[in-house]
Amino acid sequence: MSGRILPFRHRPLSSEAGIEAAKKVLATPLDERIARARALHLDDPETLLALCGMLRERMASAPASALEEVEFLYRFIEAPKREIGLFDERDYFLGETALLAGTACRCLSRREEAWIWFDRAEAGYRHTMNAPAELSRLSYQRLAERFEERQLDLVIELLPSLVESFHKLGMTEDALKCRFLEGLALYERDEPAASIEVFNFICREAEALGSHQLLAESYVNLIQAHAILGEAEAAIEASRRAIPLLRELDNRIALAKVQWGLATLLRQEGRTREAIDCYRTAQEDFESIGMRADIAALNLVVADLLLEEGRSVEALREISEALPVISELKMAPEGMAALTLVRESVRRQEVNRQALRELHGYFQELQN
Amino acid sequence: MEKNSPRRPDEIESVFALSLGVIHSALVAYYRLTEDEAQGAEEDLFTWFQRLARRGGSGQMPAKLLRISLLSAACQYGRSFQLWKLGGEASEDRELAALLAREPDEVAGDLDRRFDEERS
Repeated sequence: MSGRILPFRHRPLSSEAGIEAAKKVLATPLDERIARARALHLDDPETLLALCGMLRERMASAPASALEEVEFLYRFIEAPKREIGLFDERDYFLGETALLAGTACRCLSRREEAWIWFDRAEAGYRHTMNAPAELSRLSYQRLAERFEERQLDLVIELLPSLVESFHKLGMTEDALKCRFLEGLALYERDEPAASIEVFNFICREAEALGSHQLLAESYVNLIQAHAILGEAEAAIEASRRAIPLLRELDNRIALAKVQWGLATLLRQEGRTREAIDCYRTAQEDFESIGMRADIAALNLVVADLLLEEGRSVEALREISEALPVISELKMAPEGMAALTLVRESVRRQEVNRQALRELHGYFQELQN
Repeated sequence: MEKNSPRRPDEIESVFALSLGVIHSALVAYYRLTEDEAQGAEEDLFTWFQRLARRGGSGQMPAKLLRISLLSAACQYGRSFQLWKLGGEASEDRELAALLAREPDEVAGDLDRRFDEERS
Protein backbone atom coordinates (compact mmCIF):
# COMPACT_ATOMS: atom_id res chain seq x y z
CA MET A 1 0.00 0.00 0.00
CA SER A 2 1.43 3.38 -0.87
CA GLY A 3 0.24 6.93 -0.93
CA ARG A 4 1.39 10.18 -2.39
CA ILE A 5 2.53 12.66 0.26
CA LEU A 6 0.63 15.86 -0.35
CA PRO A 7 1.83 19.33 0.53
CA PHE A 8 -0.17 20.92 3.31
CA ARG A 9 -1.13 24.42 4.35
CA HIS A 10 0.01 27.03 1.96
CA ARG A 11 -0.63 30.73 1.89
CA PRO A 12 -1.13 31.58 -1.74
CA LEU A 13 -1.67 34.97 -3.28
CA SER A 14 -5.22 36.08 -3.96
CA SER A 15 -6.26 35.86 -7.60
CA GLU A 16 -6.02 39.67 -7.93
CA ALA A 17 -2.52 39.66 -6.43
CA GLY A 18 -1.65 36.80 -8.79
CA ILE A 19 -2.57 38.93 -11.79
CA GLU A 20 -0.42 41.80 -10.53
CA ALA A 21 2.46 39.40 -9.86
CA ALA A 22 2.13 37.95 -13.36
CA LYS A 23 2.38 41.43 -14.88
CA LYS A 24 5.56 42.04 -12.88
CA VAL A 25 7.00 38.73 -14.08
CA LEU A 26 6.37 39.63 -17.70
CA ALA A 27 7.92 43.05 -17.18
CA THR A 28 11.09 41.46 -15.78
CA PRO A 29 13.79 40.38 -18.28
CA LEU A 30 13.97 36.59 -18.63
CA ASP A 31 17.56 36.38 -17.42
CA GLU A 32 16.74 38.17 -14.15
CA ARG A 33 13.73 36.11 -13.19
CA ILE A 34 15.32 33.09 -11.54
CA ALA A 35 17.34 35.24 -9.17
CA ARG A 36 14.21 37.21 -8.30
CA ALA A 37 11.82 34.25 -8.35
CA ARG A 38 10.86 34.60 -4.70
CA ALA A 39 10.17 38.33 -4.85
CA LEU A 40 8.20 37.84 -8.07
CA HIS A 41 6.09 35.03 -6.52
CA LEU A 42 7.01 32.99 -9.55
CA ASP A 43 6.22 29.67 -7.87
CA ASP A 44 2.83 30.79 -6.61
CA PRO A 45 -0.02 28.98 -8.38
CA GLU A 46 -2.03 32.20 -8.67
CA THR A 47 0.87 33.87 -10.50
CA LEU A 48 1.24 30.86 -12.79
CA LEU A 49 -2.49 30.67 -13.46
CA ALA A 50 -2.56 34.35 -14.43
CA LEU A 51 0.58 33.96 -16.56
CA CYS A 52 -0.93 31.03 -18.47
CA GLY A 53 -4.07 33.07 -19.16
CA MET A 54 -2.09 36.08 -20.37
CA LEU A 55 0.19 34.00 -22.57
CA ARG A 56 -2.77 32.12 -24.02
CA GLU A 57 -4.15 35.48 -25.12
CA ARG A 58 -0.77 36.57 -26.46
CA MET A 59 -0.59 33.50 -28.69
CA ALA A 60 -2.63 35.11 -31.48
CA SER A 61 -0.73 38.38 -31.46
CA ALA A 62 2.85 37.35 -30.76
CA PRO A 63 3.41 33.57 -30.89
CA ALA A 64 7.21 33.82 -30.91
CA SER A 65 7.32 35.87 -27.73
CA ALA A 66 4.64 33.69 -26.11
CA LEU A 67 6.79 30.65 -26.89
CA GLU A 68 9.82 32.19 -25.21
CA GLU A 69 7.77 32.94 -22.10
CA VAL A 70 6.05 29.56 -21.74
CA GLU A 71 9.26 27.70 -22.39
CA PHE A 72 10.86 29.67 -19.56
CA LEU A 73 7.95 28.81 -17.25
CA TYR A 74 8.06 25.12 -18.15
CA ARG A 75 11.81 24.95 -17.42
CA PHE A 76 11.34 26.88 -14.18
CA ILE A 77 8.68 24.48 -12.91
CA GLU A 78 10.37 21.35 -14.19
CA ALA A 79 13.91 21.60 -12.82
CA PRO A 80 14.94 21.74 -10.11
CA LYS A 81 11.74 20.00 -9.07
CA ARG A 82 9.73 22.65 -7.23
CA GLU A 83 6.73 22.32 -4.97
CA ILE A 84 3.99 24.23 -6.75
CA GLY A 85 0.63 24.76 -5.07
CA LEU A 86 -1.58 21.94 -3.87
CA PHE A 87 -2.28 18.38 -5.02
CA ASP A 88 -1.88 18.15 -8.80
CA GLU A 89 -1.04 21.78 -9.53
CA ARG A 90 2.59 21.27 -10.46
CA ASP A 91 1.60 18.63 -13.02
CA TYR A 92 -1.14 20.87 -14.36
CA PHE A 93 1.24 23.80 -14.87
CA LEU A 94 3.79 21.56 -16.56
CA GLY A 95 1.07 20.30 -18.88
CA GLU A 96 -0.38 23.72 -19.55
CA THR A 97 2.90 25.50 -20.27
CA ALA A 98 3.93 22.63 -22.56
CA LEU A 99 0.59 22.77 -24.39
CA LEU A 100 0.99 26.51 -24.90
CA ALA A 101 4.56 26.00 -26.14
CA GLY A 102 3.37 23.33 -28.58
CA THR A 103 0.58 25.57 -29.81
CA ALA A 104 3.05 28.41 -30.39
CA CYS A 105 5.37 26.06 -32.29
CA ARG A 106 2.41 24.96 -34.42
CA CYS A 107 1.61 28.58 -35.27
CA LEU A 108 5.25 29.15 -36.16
CA SER A 109 5.42 25.96 -38.30
CA ARG A 110 8.08 24.48 -35.99
CA ARG A 111 6.59 21.06 -36.44
CA GLU A 112 9.05 18.71 -34.74
CA GLU A 113 9.26 20.93 -31.67
CA ALA A 114 5.46 21.12 -31.54
CA TRP A 115 5.21 17.33 -31.29
CA ILE A 116 7.80 17.20 -28.49
CA TRP A 117 5.92 19.86 -26.53
CA PHE A 118 2.65 17.99 -27.02
CA ASP A 119 4.27 14.87 -25.58
CA ARG A 120 5.46 16.89 -22.59
CA ALA A 121 1.96 18.29 -22.13
CA GLU A 122 0.56 14.77 -22.03
CA ALA A 123 3.14 13.75 -19.43
CA GLY A 124 1.98 16.60 -17.19
CA TYR A 125 -1.76 16.39 -17.74
CA ARG A 126 -1.81 12.62 -17.22
CA HIS A 127 -1.32 13.16 -13.48
CA THR A 128 -3.98 15.81 -13.00
CA MET A 129 -7.35 15.42 -11.33
CA ASN A 130 -9.22 16.66 -14.38
CA ALA A 131 -7.14 14.80 -16.94
CA PRO A 132 -9.89 14.02 -19.53
CA ALA A 133 -10.63 17.71 -20.08
CA GLU A 134 -6.99 18.75 -20.40
CA LEU A 135 -6.05 15.75 -22.55
CA SER A 136 -8.97 16.55 -24.87
CA ARG A 137 -7.65 20.08 -25.34
CA LEU A 138 -4.28 18.55 -26.13
CA SER A 139 -5.92 16.21 -28.67
CA TYR A 140 -7.38 19.22 -30.44
CA GLN A 141 -3.94 20.80 -30.82
CA ARG A 142 -2.53 17.52 -32.06
CA LEU A 143 -5.27 17.23 -34.66
CA ALA A 144 -4.73 20.84 -35.72
CA GLU A 145 -1.05 20.06 -36.20
CA ARG A 146 -1.95 16.98 -38.25
CA PHE A 147 -4.22 19.16 -40.34
CA GLU A 148 -1.35 21.51 -41.05
CA GLU A 149 0.74 18.53 -42.04
CA ARG A 150 -2.13 17.70 -44.41
CA GLN A 151 -2.99 14.37 -42.83
CA LEU A 152 -6.61 15.08 -43.70
CA ASP A 153 -7.91 11.52 -43.59
CA LEU A 154 -6.65 11.03 -40.07
CA VAL A 155 -8.11 14.36 -38.96
CA ILE A 156 -11.50 13.47 -40.39
CA GLU A 157 -11.33 10.02 -38.77
CA LEU A 158 -10.47 11.28 -35.28
CA LEU A 159 -12.56 14.43 -35.18
CA PRO A 160 -15.96 12.92 -34.24
CA SER A 161 -14.52 11.13 -31.21
CA LEU A 162 -12.98 14.35 -29.96
CA VAL A 163 -16.22 16.28 -30.47
CA GLU A 164 -18.01 13.60 -28.45
CA SER A 165 -15.45 13.91 -25.64
CA PHE A 166 -15.93 17.67 -25.47
CA HIS A 167 -19.70 17.28 -25.39
CA LYS A 168 -19.49 14.71 -22.60
CA LEU A 169 -17.31 17.11 -20.63
CA GLY A 170 -19.73 19.98 -21.25
CA MET A 171 -17.01 21.88 -23.15
CA THR A 172 -19.29 23.31 -25.81
CA GLU A 173 -16.91 25.94 -27.09
CA ASP A 174 -14.12 23.42 -27.62
CA ALA A 175 -16.56 21.09 -29.38
CA LEU A 176 -17.47 23.93 -31.72
CA LYS A 177 -13.80 24.68 -32.31
CA CYS A 178 -13.46 21.16 -33.70
CA ARG A 179 -15.91 22.07 -36.45
CA PHE A 180 -13.25 24.51 -37.66
CA LEU A 181 -11.04 21.65 -38.65
CA GLU A 182 -13.95 20.10 -40.51
CA GLY A 183 -14.60 23.35 -42.41
CA LEU A 184 -10.94 23.70 -43.23
CA ALA A 185 -10.71 20.11 -44.42
CA LEU A 186 -13.65 20.70 -46.77
CA TYR A 187 -12.00 23.81 -48.12
CA GLU A 188 -8.78 21.95 -48.60
CA ARG A 189 -10.64 19.28 -50.53
CA ASP A 190 -11.83 21.90 -52.98
CA GLU A 191 -15.30 22.11 -51.48
CA PRO A 192 -15.48 25.82 -50.59
CA ALA A 193 -19.30 25.93 -50.72
CA ALA A 194 -19.56 23.14 -48.14
CA SER A 195 -16.94 24.83 -45.97
CA ILE A 196 -19.02 28.04 -46.08
CA GLU A 197 -21.96 26.13 -44.65
CA VAL A 198 -19.84 24.87 -41.76
CA PHE A 199 -18.36 28.30 -41.02
CA ASN A 200 -21.79 29.94 -41.11
CA PHE A 201 -22.95 27.32 -38.60
CA ILE A 202 -19.95 28.10 -36.38
CA CYS A 203 -20.75 31.83 -36.60
CA ARG A 204 -24.32 31.28 -35.41
CA GLU A 205 -23.24 29.02 -32.55
CA ALA A 206 -20.31 31.24 -31.54
CA GLU A 207 -22.65 34.21 -31.39
CA ALA A 208 -25.04 32.26 -29.17
CA LEU A 209 -22.13 31.24 -26.90
CA GLY A 210 -20.75 34.77 -26.84
CA SER A 211 -17.36 33.63 -28.12
CA HIS A 212 -15.72 36.56 -29.93
CA GLN A 213 -12.67 34.48 -30.73
CA LEU A 214 -14.51 31.73 -32.57
CA LEU A 215 -16.82 34.19 -34.30
CA ALA A 216 -13.97 36.32 -35.60
CA GLU A 217 -11.96 33.35 -36.83
CA SER A 218 -15.00 31.94 -38.62
CA TYR A 219 -15.42 35.22 -40.48
CA VAL A 220 -11.78 35.03 -41.54
CA ASN A 221 -12.34 31.60 -43.05
CA LEU A 222 -15.51 32.82 -44.74
CA ILE A 223 -13.54 35.62 -46.42
CA GLN A 224 -11.20 33.12 -47.99
CA ALA A 225 -13.91 30.68 -49.07
CA HIS A 226 -16.12 33.39 -50.58
CA ALA A 227 -13.08 34.95 -52.24
CA ILE A 228 -12.08 31.73 -53.95
CA LEU A 229 -15.62 31.45 -55.31
CA GLY A 230 -15.42 35.06 -56.54
CA GLU A 231 -18.25 36.09 -54.20
CA ALA A 232 -16.90 39.57 -53.61
CA GLU A 233 -19.80 41.01 -51.67
CA ALA A 234 -19.95 38.14 -49.18
CA ALA A 235 -16.17 38.16 -48.72
CA ILE A 236 -16.12 41.90 -48.04
CA GLU A 237 -19.07 41.60 -45.65
CA ALA A 238 -17.23 38.86 -43.72
CA SER A 239 -14.10 41.03 -43.50
CA ARG A 240 -16.20 44.01 -42.35
CA ARG A 241 -17.47 41.86 -39.47
CA ALA A 242 -14.12 40.22 -38.70
CA ILE A 243 -11.81 43.22 -38.51
CA PRO A 244 -13.30 45.08 -35.48
CA LEU A 245 -13.49 41.84 -33.49
CA LEU A 246 -9.94 40.87 -34.35
CA ARG A 247 -8.66 44.34 -33.42
CA GLU A 248 -10.47 44.11 -30.11
CA LEU A 249 -8.87 40.72 -29.49
CA ASP A 250 -5.50 41.88 -30.86
CA ASN A 251 -5.51 38.73 -32.99
CA ARG A 252 -2.72 39.71 -35.36
CA ILE A 253 -2.47 36.27 -36.95
CA ALA A 254 -6.09 36.41 -38.08
CA LEU A 255 -5.78 40.07 -39.14
CA ALA A 256 -2.94 39.05 -41.47
CA LYS A 257 -5.17 36.29 -42.82
CA VAL A 258 -7.89 38.83 -43.55
CA GLN A 259 -5.41 40.63 -45.81
CA TRP A 260 -4.59 37.31 -47.45
CA GLY A 261 -8.27 36.61 -48.05
CA LEU A 262 -8.85 40.05 -49.55
CA ALA A 263 -5.80 39.61 -51.75
CA THR A 264 -7.24 36.31 -53.00
CA LEU A 265 -10.46 38.14 -53.83
CA LEU A 266 -8.58 40.80 -55.81
CA ARG A 267 -6.66 38.10 -57.64
CA GLN A 268 -9.88 36.29 -58.52
CA GLU A 269 -11.21 39.56 -59.92
CA GLY A 270 -8.12 39.96 -62.09
CA ARG A 271 -6.89 43.03 -60.18
CA THR A 272 -3.32 41.75 -60.14
CA ARG A 273 -1.42 44.83 -58.97
CA GLU A 274 -3.84 45.50 -56.12
CA ALA A 275 -3.70 41.82 -55.19
CA ILE A 276 0.11 41.95 -55.01
CA ASP A 277 -0.04 45.01 -52.75
CA CYS A 278 -2.53 43.28 -50.52
CA TYR A 279 -0.37 40.13 -50.32
CA ARG A 280 2.58 42.34 -49.39
CA THR A 281 0.58 43.85 -46.54
CA ALA A 282 -0.25 40.34 -45.31
CA GLN A 283 3.43 39.40 -45.52
CA GLU A 284 4.40 42.45 -43.47
CA ASP A 285 1.84 41.46 -40.86
CA PHE A 286 3.17 37.89 -40.75
CA GLU A 287 6.72 39.22 -40.57
CA SER A 288 5.89 41.23 -37.47
CA ILE A 289 4.76 38.09 -35.66
CA GLY A 290 7.47 35.78 -36.96
CA MET A 291 5.30 33.51 -39.13
CA ARG A 292 7.91 32.56 -41.70
CA ALA A 293 5.97 29.71 -43.31
CA ASP A 294 3.14 32.03 -44.30
CA ILE A 295 5.55 34.61 -45.68
CA ALA A 296 7.22 31.95 -47.83
CA ALA A 297 3.87 30.63 -49.07
CA LEU A 298 2.89 34.17 -50.09
CA ASN A 299 6.22 34.69 -51.84
CA LEU A 300 5.19 31.90 -54.19
CA VAL A 301 1.72 33.31 -54.78
CA VAL A 302 3.19 36.76 -55.50
CA ALA A 303 5.76 35.18 -57.82
CA ASP A 304 2.95 33.60 -59.79
CA LEU A 305 1.22 36.97 -60.16
CA LEU A 306 4.46 38.66 -61.14
CA LEU A 307 4.93 36.10 -63.89
CA GLU A 308 1.43 36.92 -65.06
CA GLU A 309 2.61 40.51 -65.38
CA GLY A 310 5.74 39.46 -67.24
CA ARG A 311 8.01 40.45 -64.33
CA SER A 312 10.04 37.25 -64.34
CA VAL A 313 13.19 38.63 -62.66
CA GLU A 314 11.16 39.78 -59.67
CA ALA A 315 9.33 36.48 -59.66
CA LEU A 316 12.62 34.58 -59.49
CA ARG A 317 13.67 36.72 -56.55
CA GLU A 318 10.44 35.93 -54.70
CA ILE A 319 10.87 32.21 -55.25
CA SER A 320 14.52 32.29 -54.24
CA GLU A 321 13.53 33.90 -50.95
CA ALA A 322 10.88 31.27 -50.30
CA LEU A 323 12.69 28.04 -51.18
CA PRO A 324 15.16 27.90 -48.26
CA VAL A 325 12.36 28.55 -45.76
CA ILE A 326 10.17 25.88 -47.35
CA SER A 327 13.00 23.37 -47.08
CA GLU A 328 13.99 24.38 -43.56
CA LEU A 329 10.45 24.20 -42.20
CA LYS A 330 9.64 21.01 -44.14
CA MET A 331 6.46 22.59 -45.43
CA ALA A 332 3.99 20.37 -47.27
CA PRO A 333 6.00 17.17 -47.72
CA GLU A 334 3.66 15.96 -50.47
CA GLY A 335 4.73 18.99 -52.50
CA MET A 336 8.32 17.78 -52.72
CA ALA A 337 8.09 16.90 -56.41
CA ALA A 338 6.79 20.33 -57.29
CA LEU A 339 9.39 21.90 -55.01
CA THR A 340 12.18 20.09 -56.82
CA LEU A 341 10.84 21.20 -60.19
CA VAL A 342 10.61 24.80 -59.07
CA ARG A 343 14.11 24.67 -57.58
CA GLU A 344 15.52 23.27 -60.82
CA SER A 345 13.73 25.84 -62.93
CA VAL A 346 15.00 28.68 -60.74
CA ARG A 347 18.50 27.36 -61.24
CA ARG A 348 17.90 27.67 -64.97
CA GLN A 349 16.48 31.17 -64.41
CA GLU A 350 13.25 30.15 -66.11
CA VAL A 351 10.39 29.44 -63.75
CA ASN A 352 8.35 26.28 -64.26
CA ARG A 353 5.01 27.94 -63.72
CA GLN A 354 2.96 24.79 -63.52
CA ALA A 355 5.17 23.41 -60.77
CA LEU A 356 5.05 26.78 -59.02
CA ARG A 357 1.27 26.78 -59.06
CA GLU A 358 1.17 23.23 -57.83
CA LEU A 359 3.51 24.14 -55.01
CA HIS A 360 1.70 27.24 -53.84
CA GLY A 361 -1.54 25.30 -54.19
CA TYR A 362 -0.26 23.13 -51.33
CA PHE A 363 0.21 26.20 -49.21
CA GLN A 364 -2.98 27.94 -50.21
CA GLU A 365 -4.87 26.76 -47.21
CA LEU A 366 -1.96 26.96 -44.77
CA GLN A 367 -3.30 30.37 -43.83
CA ASN A 368 -6.24 28.69 -42.14
CA MET B 1 -22.52 41.05 -28.10
CA GLU B 2 -20.88 40.28 -24.77
CA LYS B 3 -17.63 38.38 -24.51
CA ASN B 4 -17.92 34.85 -23.22
CA SER B 5 -17.81 35.46 -19.46
CA PRO B 6 -15.65 33.33 -17.16
CA ARG B 7 -17.28 31.30 -14.41
CA ARG B 8 -18.30 33.46 -11.46
CA PRO B 9 -16.49 32.91 -8.12
CA ASP B 10 -19.80 32.67 -6.24
CA GLU B 11 -20.82 29.74 -8.45
CA ILE B 12 -17.67 27.89 -7.38
CA GLU B 13 -18.25 28.74 -3.73
CA SER B 14 -21.75 27.39 -4.06
CA VAL B 15 -20.58 24.09 -5.58
CA PHE B 16 -18.05 23.75 -2.77
CA ALA B 17 -20.51 24.66 -0.03
CA LEU B 18 -23.05 22.12 -1.30
CA SER B 19 -20.39 19.39 -1.36
CA LEU B 20 -18.86 20.22 1.99
CA GLY B 21 -21.11 17.94 4.04
CA VAL B 22 -20.20 14.90 1.95
CA ILE B 23 -16.52 15.84 1.96
CA HIS B 24 -16.43 16.30 5.72
CA SER B 25 -18.09 13.01 6.45
CA ALA B 26 -15.79 11.23 3.99
CA LEU B 27 -12.70 12.68 5.68
CA VAL B 28 -13.87 12.05 9.23
CA ALA B 29 -16.09 8.97 9.01
CA TYR B 30 -14.38 7.13 6.13
CA TYR B 31 -10.74 8.17 6.30
CA ARG B 32 -10.76 8.71 10.10
CA LEU B 33 -9.21 12.16 10.10
CA THR B 34 -9.70 14.20 13.26
CA GLU B 35 -11.98 17.23 13.15
CA ASP B 36 -8.94 19.55 13.10
CA GLU B 37 -7.27 17.57 10.35
CA ALA B 38 -10.47 17.57 8.32
CA GLN B 39 -10.86 21.31 8.72
CA GLY B 40 -7.32 21.87 7.44
CA ALA B 41 -7.99 19.57 4.52
CA GLU B 42 -11.20 21.42 3.67
CA GLU B 43 -9.40 24.76 3.63
CA ASP B 44 -6.77 23.40 1.25
CA LEU B 45 -9.45 21.81 -0.92
CA PHE B 46 -11.35 25.08 -1.16
CA THR B 47 -8.23 26.99 -2.25
CA TRP B 48 -7.38 24.30 -4.78
CA PHE B 49 -10.95 24.06 -6.09
CA GLN B 50 -11.15 27.81 -6.73
CA ARG B 51 -8.09 27.51 -8.95
CA LEU B 52 -9.21 24.26 -10.59
CA ALA B 53 -12.28 26.08 -11.89
CA ARG B 54 -10.03 28.61 -13.64
CA ARG B 55 -7.86 26.07 -15.46
CA GLY B 56 -7.84 25.87 -19.24
CA GLY B 57 -10.05 22.79 -19.44
CA SER B 58 -12.33 23.46 -16.49
CA GLY B 59 -13.67 26.90 -17.33
CA GLN B 60 -16.63 25.59 -19.29
CA MET B 61 -17.26 22.36 -17.42
CA PRO B 62 -20.64 21.84 -15.76
CA ALA B 63 -20.84 21.96 -11.97
CA LYS B 64 -21.43 18.21 -11.64
CA LEU B 65 -18.14 17.33 -13.32
CA LEU B 66 -16.28 19.87 -11.25
CA ARG B 67 -17.83 18.38 -8.13
CA ILE B 68 -16.61 14.91 -9.09
CA SER B 69 -13.06 16.30 -9.40
CA LEU B 70 -13.47 17.90 -5.99
CA LEU B 71 -14.68 14.68 -4.36
CA SER B 72 -11.88 12.79 -6.00
CA ALA B 73 -9.33 15.26 -4.64
CA ALA B 74 -10.90 15.00 -1.18
CA CYS B 75 -10.61 11.21 -1.22
CA GLN B 76 -7.05 11.34 -2.47
CA TYR B 77 -6.23 13.77 0.31
CA GLY B 78 -7.90 11.66 2.98
CA ARG B 79 -6.23 8.48 1.81
CA SER B 80 -2.76 10.01 1.51
CA PHE B 81 -3.05 11.67 4.90
CA GLN B 82 -4.14 8.49 6.62
CA LEU B 83 -1.41 6.44 4.91
CA TRP B 84 1.12 9.00 6.08
CA LYS B 85 -0.22 8.76 9.64
CA LEU B 86 0.02 4.99 9.54
CA GLY B 87 3.64 5.32 8.49
CA GLY B 88 3.56 2.25 6.27
CA GLU B 89 1.84 0.01 8.83
CA ALA B 90 -1.46 -1.69 7.99
CA SER B 91 -4.46 -0.32 9.86
CA GLU B 92 -6.03 -2.50 12.53
CA ASP B 93 -9.34 -0.91 11.72
CA ARG B 94 -10.72 -3.34 9.11
CA GLU B 95 -13.13 -0.86 7.58
CA LEU B 96 -10.40 1.73 7.22
CA ALA B 97 -7.98 -0.84 5.77
CA ALA B 98 -10.59 -1.86 3.19
CA LEU B 99 -11.23 1.76 2.26
CA LEU B 100 -7.53 2.54 1.92
CA ALA B 101 -7.21 -0.39 -0.46
CA ARG B 102 -9.73 1.20 -2.82
CA GLU B 103 -8.92 3.76 -5.50
CA PRO B 104 -9.87 7.30 -4.38
CA ASP B 105 -11.72 7.89 -7.69
CA GLU B 106 -13.89 4.88 -6.99
CA VAL B 107 -14.74 6.13 -3.51
CA ALA B 108 -15.45 9.57 -4.99
CA GLY B 109 -17.93 7.97 -7.42
CA ASP B 110 -19.80 6.48 -4.43
CA LEU B 111 -19.80 9.86 -2.69
CA ASP B 112 -21.16 11.55 -5.79
CA ARG B 113 -24.03 9.06 -5.97
CA ARG B 114 -24.71 9.71 -2.30
CA PHE B 115 -24.70 13.44 -2.99
CA ASP B 116 -27.24 13.01 -5.80
CA GLU B 117 -29.46 10.84 -3.61
CA GLU B 118 -29.41 13.35 -0.79
CA ARG B 119 -30.34 16.17 -3.20
CA SER B 120 -33.14 14.30 -4.92
